[in-house]
Amino acid sequence: MKKFSFLFIMLLSFMLILAACNDESGETEEPSDDETGEQESGTDSESESESESEEADAEEGEQVLVFGRGGDSESLDFASTTDGESSRVTKQIYESLLDFDKESFEVVPGLAHDWEVSDDGLTYTFYLEEGVKFHDGTDFNAEAVKTNFERWADPEHEYAFTEEGYTYAIYGTMFGGFKGDEDHVIDEINVVNDHEIEFVLKQPLGFFLQNMAMSYFAITSPAALEEYGPAINENPVGTGPFKFESWTRDDQIVLEKNEDYWKEGLPKLDRVIFEVIPDNSARLIALRSGELDIMDGLNPDDADIVEQEEGIDLYTRAENNFGYLGFNTQKAPLDNKKLRQAINHAVDREAIADALYNGYAVPAKNPVPPSYLGYNDEVEGYEYDLEKAQELLAEAGYADGLEIDLWTMPVARPYMPDPETVAEIIQADLSQIGITVNIVREEWAPYLEKTSNGEQEMFMLGWSGTNGDPDYFLSSLLHGDNVGEGNRTFYENEEVNELLDQAKVSIDQDERADLYKQAQVLISEDSPMVTLVHSRPVLAAASYVENYVPHPSTSESLAEVELSN
Amino acid sequence: MSTEEKKQQSEEIDSNPVQFHEDPEEIQAISPWRDAFRQLRKSPLAITGTVIILFFLILGIIAPFITGYGYDEQFLKDRLTPPNSDYWLGTDDVGRDIFTRIAYGARISLAVGFFAIVGALIFGTFLGIVSGYFGKWIDMLISRIFDILLAFPSILLAIAVVAILGPSLQNALIAIAIINIPIFGRLVRSKVISLREEEYILAAKAQGLKNGRIIFNHILPNSLAPIIVQATLGFGTAILEAAALGFLGLGAQPPNPEWGKMLADSRDFIQLAPWTLIFPGISIMLVVLGFNLIGDGLRDALDPKMKN
Repeated sequence: MKKFSFLFIMLLSFMLILAACNDESGETEEPSDDETGEQESGTDSESESESESEEADAEEGEQVLVFGRGGDSESLDFASTTDGESSRVTKQIYESLLDFDKESFEVVPGLAHDWEVSDDGLTYTFYLEEGVKFHDGTDFNAEAVKTNFERWADPEHEYAFTEEGYTYAIYGTMFGGFKGDEDHVIDEINVVNDHEIEFVLKQPLGFFLQNMAMSYFAITSPAALEEYGPAINENPVGTGPFKFESWTRDDQIVLEKNEDYWKEGLPKLDRVIFEVIPDNSARLIALRSGELDIMDGLNPDDADIVEQEEGIDLYTRAENNFGYLGFNTQKAPLDNKKLRQAINHAVDREAIADALYNGYAVPAKNPVPPSYLGYNDEVEGYEYDLEKAQELLAEAGYADGLEIDLWTMPVARPYMPDPETVAEIIQADLSQIGITVNIVREEWAPYLEKTSNGEQEMFMLGWSGTNGDPDYFLSSLLHGDNVGEGNRTFYENEEVNELLDQAKVSIDQDERADLYKQAQVLISEDSPMVTLVHSRPVLAAASYVENYVPHPSTSESLAEVELSN
Repeated sequence: MSTEEKKQQSEEIDSNPVQFHEDPEEIQAISPWRDAFRQLRKSPLAITGTVIILFFLILGIIAPFITGYGYDEQFLKDRLTPPNSDYWLGTDDVGRDIFTRIAYGARISLAVGFFAIVGALIFGTFLGIVSGYFGKWIDMLISRIFDILLAFPSILLAIAVVAILGPSLQNALIAIAIINIPIFGRLVRSKVISLREEEYILAAKAQGLKNGRIIFNHILPNSLAPIIVQATLGFGTAILEAAALGFLGLGAQPPNPEWGKMLADSRDFIQLAPWTLIFPGISIMLVVLGFNLIGDGLRDALDPKMKN
């Protein structure tokens, strides 16, 4: 008894001491840090004389932005991955010939200050910026652009690194295939002079300019490709506002200011650090404590708190994505269409949108966002109807129910801030029609790899638009040519493929819209996935972060961002 | 423990199974189990521990009768409701009643603790006796295996075992049993080694008793006290380890209401809805505390040094 109470008192006092320490560091140290840091960054000469410890302050005088996110990048070779966490970083290091406007998918100049399109839509000429240098000091010119495009198009190219497992699926998706393929749209690339390059197409491509602005088709230094070879994915060298500094896997990526950036006065920041904090709430706590300056993947539930909180601002991205529950349509038991439809009827999207997104989402019935060209509002979709689901389940031959594995993402995504909870809701929904769902967890990188190999039965994923064109959603996710790449439902429907192919080469936007609408009807009938919601992802940033504009594509340049006093 | 004390202790404990005494009253007076029980009843802490454990045990058993909800029943409209008269301890992020989940979770935690410890106890005791009684190379072999197992931090070892077997409640239970085997094994081994040298064992051998009988009739009953104490204390650790594995997603799988899993699922809501964490957290703490109090009480009661 005595021993115990003694221990208890010891424990209590220990806790008190700990708590006291905590308070001190929280309340007294931090604001003083901030103050000196802020003074410093504003007027360097003045505050240096005022400051107490000059060395420490010089460090803080740097404009360092720490960006918190949920998962690490898969690779820093943008063209060989479709991972959003990768392009978020490469967007800072690399630039494309064109760029998107800050808040929309309108095309604006990038590395090309001007461009021309021939009347038949087959020849595009780009006039490149002069005097632009890659981070390694070599010149950016038309030849570099050509090398990059050839690298993606030709698996035999010396920098294609095919043997090391590099594939440029997104190039194939966006440009109709690779060199030698019948549908590959780029016929030839002509270097007119150092600063003028011409793309000649075999057939028109409705979204060619859009493609040129995508962060997937940015320009890498050819000298770096030569130097690093297949290790280019860990040693990115581009023309962008920030230079690659270091990468600690699953921890952080550090970028340094590119002093020789070709845009006058940019970037404003001296250093950008992308920090991985998998846990949404831990990330918010880190933002509050000043450890982070911007955080992506805010819990929608926390949005209300953040909105009211002083010192933190709430940001939203435009609706440009959808989260889905995918079926592996080529593997039993989900190769059964009736079963897929039954599940589609049994999932209560409305409840998921209301409950988990706190109003920052709408239920989805098509695999393309509502604001897009060719969105088919007449598709009926699958309303929540358990009786119908049960009927379909019986028709499918599973009147007694069955057991299915559901793979869930381990990381918060813009289209799904809390995948595990969504999985649990789906589990409960499906148990009502007699389907037993086993939830399977995988780490993010193996998750992507295994779903690409088709090891899954049901799985959760989503897609965020990066060029504002419906093709990017429908073709990437549901065209038979992209099976194993963007298409992880392994869905193949000849008719759909044909419609998507036609829409791709048409330059008449009304015709394209019509073709996409037809495709959506067929897709909805085949039910390769349960389209869950279109979300408006919420982010938070400290109030002293200025000029930060979240782009709907989830990747935005941080060149103009600065930290104010 | 000096040899004198040891001898004294073993004499007291030994007197019961080896029934050479003829006066029944005398046996009763010094029966160590009865004595220990009386001792235990006098310890308020042990009583508190027992009450806590009984509370959770009963809660788990009568769970279906005291709540109207299913542990996986979701009321999305009522998600993250603070404690009120409908949901006594509030609801979690998909609108499940936390009280219901804690009650059903008590079943899981106590069952995992019980089976993991019983498993570890059976295997550990067996290996410990074999190694302590027979000595020589078999002792060498078993002891080194124990050393290897003990060289790993226990939770790391458990994670490794679950990683090999695949995450599930059953595999978590096996993992916890495995990491506890060497603890029992070593304890029993050292006890057996000291017992082996006792004169009554020598006497039994001289009478021509077989090893099996010596072990079951003499060695095992006399090693029970430390095993029981260790088992009780082990319960608490096992439950904590199960919760840790659950927290890491390696134990119970959704929608099972394992307490550690509940904590993990709710950690995003620590600011928004603290009750989603507080109650499962308190439950884990109370059960572990309960077992530790009982274990401490038992140790004191069974330890002859503590008698005045």
